[in-house]
Order: sequence, then structure tokens, then C-alpha cells
Amino acid sequence: MALGCAVLLAACGGDGGADGTPAAGAAGGDGPYLVATTGIWADVVERVACDGPLDVRTIVPAGGDPHSFEPSLQDRHVLDGATLVVANGLGLEATLDDTLDSVEDGGVPIFRIGEHIDTIQLAGEGEDPHVWFDPTRVAGALPALGDALVAAGQDAAVIDRCVSAAQTDLVALDTQLAATLGAVPADRRLLVTNHDALGYLADRYGFEVVGSVLPSTSTLTEASPGELDGLAKAIEARHVPAIFTETLASSTDADALADRLGVAVVQLYSDALGEPGSGADTYDGLLRTDATSIADALTH
Amino acid sequence: MTWLLDPWAWWVEPFRGNVAMVNALWAVLLTATCTSLVGTWVVLRGMSFLGDALAHGVLPGIAIAFVIGLDTTIGALVAAVVMVAGVNVVRAASPLPDDASIGILFVGFLALAVVVMSSQRGGYTGDLTRFLFGSITGVDTTDLVRQLVATAITVAVVLVLHRALLVGTFDERQARLLGLHPRFTRGVLLVLVAVAIVASFGTVGNLLVFAFLIAPPSTATLLVRRVPSIMALAVALGAAGGFVGLLVSYHHSTAAGATMALCTVIVFFAVLIVRSTVTVVRRHLPRMATPGG
Repeated sequence: MALGCAVLLAACGGDGGADGTPAAGAAGGDGPYLVATTGIWADVVERVACDGPLDVRTIVPAGGDPHSFEPSLQDRHVLDGATLVVANGLGLEATLDDTLDSVEDGGVPIFRIGEHIDTIQLAGEGEDPHVWFDPTRVAGALPALGDALVAAGQDAAVIDRCVSAAQTDLVALDTQLAATLGAVPADRRLLVTNHDALGYLADRYGFEVVGSVLPSTSTLTEASPGELDGLAKAIEARHVPAIFTETLASSTDADALADRLGVAVVQLYSDALGEPGSGADTYDGLLRTDATSIADALTH
Repeated sequence: MTWLLDPWAWWVEPFRGNVAMVNALWAVLLTATCTSLVGTWVVLRGMSFLGDALAHGVLPGIAIAFVIGLDTTIGALVAAVVMVAGVNVVRAASPLPDDASIGILFVGFLALAVVVMSSQRGGYTGDLTRFLFGSITGVDTTDLVRQLVATAITVAVVLVLHRALLVGTFDERQARLLGLHPRFTRGVLLVLVAVAIVASFGTVGNLLVFAFLIAPPSTATLLVRRVPSIMALAVALGAAGGFVGLLVSYHHSTAAGATMALCTVIVFFAVLIVRSTVTVVRRHLPRMATPGG
């Protein structure tokens, strides 16, 4: 009977097992590697190692929502075999936390970037996890990340040099973003988002977060009619020109609200990198693409 | 076709030197044992709907315990007991049939759970979704110990109450005459269902634990008659379905809980189809049926 089940399911699965390498080979055997939970942090980790010969794998796929990502058993295996796991922390990877804790208990070091950053506190919600929207804050956490990489077996001299280089790059990126976003007139620097993701960007570049459709820093919530109504009134009263939705989460409520109020809907890359070719497939690219989208939407 | 062409790589390799997979397998085997034993009585007594309702009825207990910072296992058990009591109260106080009284409490509890969860803002709602879908990738020793205790309790109670459950299932009046306390037995059975559900949702998740409760015993009743045989076969089927589901999930990166649940249901339909085909063939070919077979 078990065999019957295997036959049926394996048949449904097609040749997924045949085309892939045997499972054990996928996770181990080909040298040491690091794991970053999201593509954003994988990109940052690669920079801190000067894009050197470092094998960095990601758990949440490009375009996947880190708030709600459910790890597979393969992911667990990959995590268990890593020399270092880099996570955002602060509750961003809510559905992954359980697994990460278990991996950490098994002896794999986990570096949670959020623990090395000066975070923004939100009333009733704790700390905002979307720290990557301020490159200067990320730059501040790089020395600690570098130390973690050295502890995981990377060359200290190389990492030292690369951390400085990466910090310089991030400061330059910050200047660029400030220039792009600086084009928005002062009275239009108002952000309405799908979920509360742009707190750090607003803090760094002088914007005001008017509200979000999902009243939470997580995408794992539902909009409430009362709060939506309050948000709609705020959008009208303040003449907010656009609502920013995101590539990763459903925007049904945001679209309906924008439609009702006659404001533009602009899509941002928030918690996940875009597909290759989207321009937002690197950390820098994501921030630049978003800054341009925000500046365009709010200026015109 | 790797599972057939390279059986070592498909069936054994994932467990070698992989503590997480071995833990997951233990959790699945314990879950299958615990749920199949209780599930056999749930199926035989026609209590499936109550079982399903209980599976979701524990959610508000988990949510409330989570919000006020108590142990979620205890919260779940309390909610299950309250739900069973509630069903009995509605049944006694209203002219409604059983399924309606169960249904009312079922939706009421489910809605309460969602309302309580929605009051929780911030990033930690993931802990609550974990209860819905399980977290086979995060099974640790504490989970295994809890599952082991629940399974041990289940096995012990099922053995001790075997006669009372058996007589009560088929003839409640007879059970009363024999002094077997059928109402008490039924209450204990419901608590066992709750224990099985609560202990298992870490593995397969609250939404799908019902599959393990119902599918293997249902499949077993298609094949054997005697209750101990049904139980033994159900445990074997549940364990096999869970094992295969775990491996399919591993190799194809599908959701573990759902893959295992689907596996147990597929086995049911496979058996049903084979059994029906055999019956039809026998009927149409009366001469082929061997005498005394």
C-alpha cells in the first residue's frame, strides 16, 4: 500500500526527482557554503566578501515573501549544512523562526542583522524589521557581519578590506537615493503602503508614513474596515498622490482603495528582490528602483 | 522515477546524517500511531464531524494562550474540553440534531480564533500560522517528547478501555447493562481525540491532522473486519503514508504536512478502487469465483 502511494505521488511529481541531483548532493559535499534567508541579504553578504569565491545560498526565493515563507525539508537540510546563516531577524521571517531556532540549537551559528542595527520602535508592534531600506544603517552592521564571516572561516584580512569597500559603496548609494528622493516637493513627501515596510526609508530621507493598508509590519494580517476608512480619509485630507503596493503580496485591498479615491497605484520591491532583468535583482538595484518609482509617483 | 531506479538515494539517503529528517520521521511515526488508534474509534462510531470540529476547535485555545503567554498545549486542551462540553449543552438544551450543534460550535470557535489572532499586530503572527500548517522542519526534542507522551497515553487508554469502547460502539444499551459506563467512555474517547490532535499539530498542522485521524482507519475498514486488525492496519497505513509523504516532500520541496495528508487520502482511494473493481469482476464472472474463496 505504501508502494501504491509512492507510485501515485512519484508519478504526479513527474521527473522532478530524476532531473535534479540526488538530494544529499544538493546540500552537502560541494564545499562549505553560507545561507542567507532572503536574496537581499545574500547580495549584501556577497559584497562583504568582495564577491569572492563564496557560496551563498538563499532560502526564500526571488519574489517570495519572507513573512510567510514555509521552509521545505530540503531547506532545513541546506540550513543544517551551512557554516553560517544570515537572517534578518526582528520577526521578519516569522514562519521560518521556528526552524532557524532549531538549526541554531543544532550548532549552526546564526547572524541576525536586526540585532546589530539601531531599529525603529513602532507603537504596539515592537521593532520594524525592514532595516534594509536605510543603507546607512546596513553599513553600520557590516563590521559585525564581517566578524561573523571571519568566525565562519573567511580570511580576516580580505573581509576587513571588503567591509570598508562595501561601506563606502553603501554611503554612495545613500547619497544617490537622497538625490533621487530629494526631488519630491516637501508637501508631497507622504507614503501610503500596502504593509508597513518603508519606515526606515521615511526616517532616513524625510518622508512621512501616512498609513498602510495592512496595518502591520507583517503581510500576515488582514485589513480592517474601520482602519481602511481612517486611511482613506487621511489620503483625501492630505492629498496623497499614490498608494505603493508591492510585488510580493496581494494588493486587492490597496487596489480597491486607490480605485475608490482616484489615486495612482505604484508597485515597489519591498521585502524580496525582483527577477533577474527587473532592475531590482540586487540590493542596490532594489533601492534605486524603488526610489525612482517613489520620486516619479509623488512628483507628478 | 528515482524512487524506483535508485531506491537507496530516494528512500535512505535523506535520513543519513540528517538529524532534522530523522526527528521528522519519528514525529510522523508517533503521530500516525496516536491518531490512527483514536481515529479507528472515531470512524467506527461515526464521529468524524466531531473529530474535524475538535481539530479546529482547539485553535482559539491556542490563540488565547499565545496572547496571554501560557503554554499553547494546555490552551488547546482546555479549548477542546470546552468545545465538547458545549456540544453536549447545545444538544441537551435544543432540539437540534448532532451535526448542527457541532457545526455551531465549530464555526464559533474557528471565528473566535481568527478574531483573537487578528488582534495580534506585528511580525509574530507566524507562530499562529505554524499551528495551522505545522512545522515539520522545526521538530525538536521537546516536540518529540510531547508526542511520545501523548502516544503512550493513547495506547494505554485504548488498551484499558478496549472492551468498553467496543461494546459501546455497537450496542450502547448492552454497554450500560454490563456496567461499562458508555457516557464516560465516550467522554474519555473525546479527550483522547483532543490529545491526539494537540500533540500532532506541530507535525502535520491543525488543518490537516484530521486526515491522519480519518484516512488510515477508513482505509483499514475497507480491508479487514476485526477492530484490533483495523487498528494495526491503520497504524501501518498511517505510518507508511507519512513516511512516503515525508520523502516526497523532501525530494520535491512540497509542503510536508499537506503531502503526508494527501498520501494517506490517495491510499484510501487506491484501495477503494481496487476493492470495487474486484467486487465488480467477481459479480460479473460468477463462474470464475473460486468456491470457498
